[in-house]
Amino acid sequence: MIEMERISKVYRMGEVRLEALKEISLRIEAAEFISIMGPSGSGKSTLLNIIGCLDTPSGGSYFLEEKNVAGLGFDELSTVRNRKIGFVFQNFNLLPYATTYENIELPMLFNGRSGKRRRERVRELLEMVGLVEWQHHRPSELSGGQQQRVAIARALANDPSLILADEPTGNLDSKTGEEIMGLFVKLQGQGRTILMVTHDTHIASYSQRTIQLLDGRIV
Amino acid sequence: MRAQLFRYFAKELRKRKKKTALVTFAITWGTLSILLLMSFGRGLSNSFRISFKGLGDNLIMVYRGQTSKDYHGLPKGRRIMIYPRDIALLSALIPEIGLVSPESNDYFMITAAGRETNRNVCGVGPAFGVMRSMIAESGGRFINEEDERTARRVAFIGWNMAENLFPGENPVGRTIVISRVPFTVIGVMKKKLQNSSYQGFDADHAYIPHSTFSRIHTQLYIDRIHVQPKRREDNQLVERRIREILGRKYRFDPEDDYALGIWNTIEQAEEAEKGFRGVEIFLAIIGGLTLLIGAVGVTNLMYALVKERTREIGIKMALGARRRHIILQFLLETVFIFSKGMFWGAAVAYAIVRLTRLVPISYELSGIQTYLLRPIFSLDILVIFLAILGTLVFLSGIFPAVRASRLNPVEALRYE
Ligand SMILES: Nc1ncnc2c1ncn2[C@@H]1O[C@H](COP(=O)(O)OP(=O)(O)OP(=O)(O)O)[C@@H](O)[C@H]1O
Ligand SMILES: [Mg+2]
Repeated sequence: MIEMERISKVYRMGEVRLEALKEISLRIEAAEFISIMGPSGSGKSTLLNIIGCLDTPSGGSYFLEEKNVAGLGFDELSTVRNRKIGFVFQNFNLLPYATTYENIELPMLFNGRSGKRRRERVRELLEMVGLVEWQHHRPSELSGGQQQRVAIARALANDPSLILADEPTGNLDSKTGEEIMGLFVKLQGQGRTILMVTHDTHIASYSQRTIQLLDGRIV
Repeated sequence: MRAQLFRYFAKELRKRKKKTALVTFAITWGTLSILLLMSFGRGLSNSFRISFKGLGDNLIMVYRGQTSKDYHGLPKGRRIMIYPRDIALLSALIPEIGLVSPESNDYFMITAAGRETNRNVCGVGPAFGVMRSMIAESGGRFINEEDERTARRVAFIGWNMAENLFPGENPVGRTIVISRVPFTVIGVMKKKLQNSSYQGFDADHAYIPHSTFSRIHTQLYIDRIHVQPKRREDNQLVERRIREILGRKYRFDPEDDYALGIWNTIEQAEEAEKGFRGVEIFLAIIGGLTLLIGAVGVTNLMYALVKERTREIGIKMALGARRRHIILQFLLETVFIFSKGMFWGAAVAYAIVRLTRLVPISYELSGIQTYLLRPIFSLDILVIFLAILGTLVFLSGIFPAVRASRLNPVEALRYE
């Protein structure tokens, strides 16, 4: 699913050179549920963003489902994100003036799925996350747990094989966090690969494997 | 690009209406004020032009005068009179003259249909009507050659006098009595703007053939000669020739500006025309500067609109938006906001201009309202304005849009 070879990421701020990732090599199989842990500033988000094609590495090679992602341009990366990857963020990142329904539908608008198939898919996802009655509400009218469920439904819109979650339970109480993990386990059961950054060992225990990062290296 | 995406953009725009209201209002306001500035400015200079033609803008008037210089032993201070036969002399010796007419006038008691009024009566030649842009209301006519040659007792009267003597009636064919002599009214003057005059405005006068005037009045000289050159450019030449010819005949120095009073409206109109153009250019410059300042302001507002959506751009990029999706959305929004603002601005400006023009103005008073209340909303102003604004739309929209599409998704997502 994911093959990374000596991936590095360097930030340059004037004179200062900051190596956020140092020659990371990584292999992840399909349908794995992996958590990434490590102290603050160790490079977890940076790694996740590169895996998610939101950011490009400074060096190294990265194959996503046997496809070399390193040389792709912005629009090609957009297509990869749109088709293959679903994102779940700590702060949900829903569009504030779009309803639950519209938020879930959005990723499908960028690849031209027909209106009928979009409606069917949104309905399916609303049922899966249990928000059918909330489909016409805006994010501000939903609880944190509900918002995160909208975000998960949205991440699944184009049926991606890879789910990337950066501290998905960070803004939720522990009970709601468990509910979200329940959903993740279900997603893994559907054969999806899940990478999740977390600080919480209990949350991490839902995954099969943990990658520990320290100072931009895997330990 | 797919229709569904356009529909989605439209939906977003609708929901963000409140946020874009300020920009829309700014554009409406800018459009409105510039169009009004141009319309009222154009109307102002246009009214000036029209009222200049009210007296005639292609006319040289020659008056009696008094010498101010000694000449060949003759003392200064001699009165110089002009006589009907001088007209024939001038037309014979100055081929550049097109039309010429004498004018004498005095106050007479005029009675008609039991009403009585003391008014200025002018004896004029047939060419006078054309020279002074006096047009008869339909059903009437001005004095003609035959009237002059046979000294007919006919009168052409101003609209004010017509209203006073024959309120609500058609005076043509009716009789008025001037100094106990009956005259037939042959025409009533159409209303016109007039901003300069001598001895009152044309609207209050009665005009009769000059030959007839000589019979009811005792004076032998004439008060004025009206001369219109064939070509406007010759006005100074004609003026000089008149001074030379009459100077030789009545023995005064052609360089003596007081021997004859000469009022050259052509020269005056040319000066005034420069003034009108100056006003229009001035207004255009003000308008242009206002537009520029407005454009800077609007571009700023557009940047702000894009900036506050940075995070949202990041979200869309994460979900698979391409660069052109981002650019297109912002460009469409800019075009929409501008179209809406410009439409309302132009509509309101048009309505104000139309309503202002409905306000009746008095031709007699010739006051400030005649200049302020006749704005002109012309197509060329609108087209030029839209062309300039269209360019500004493109510029103020394209820069923020392109900048948005160049954002790094990670940075955009982290934006607070
Ligand atoms: N755009 C950037 N410019 C400069 N430095 C950056 C940038 N993004 C991240 N960094 C630095 O790279 C390092 C790794 O950051 P990253 O966000 O990946 O850490 P993290 O492990 O996710 O931390 P946290 O647990 O606090 O979220 C940090 O030292 C951070 O300051
Ligand atoms: Mg992080």
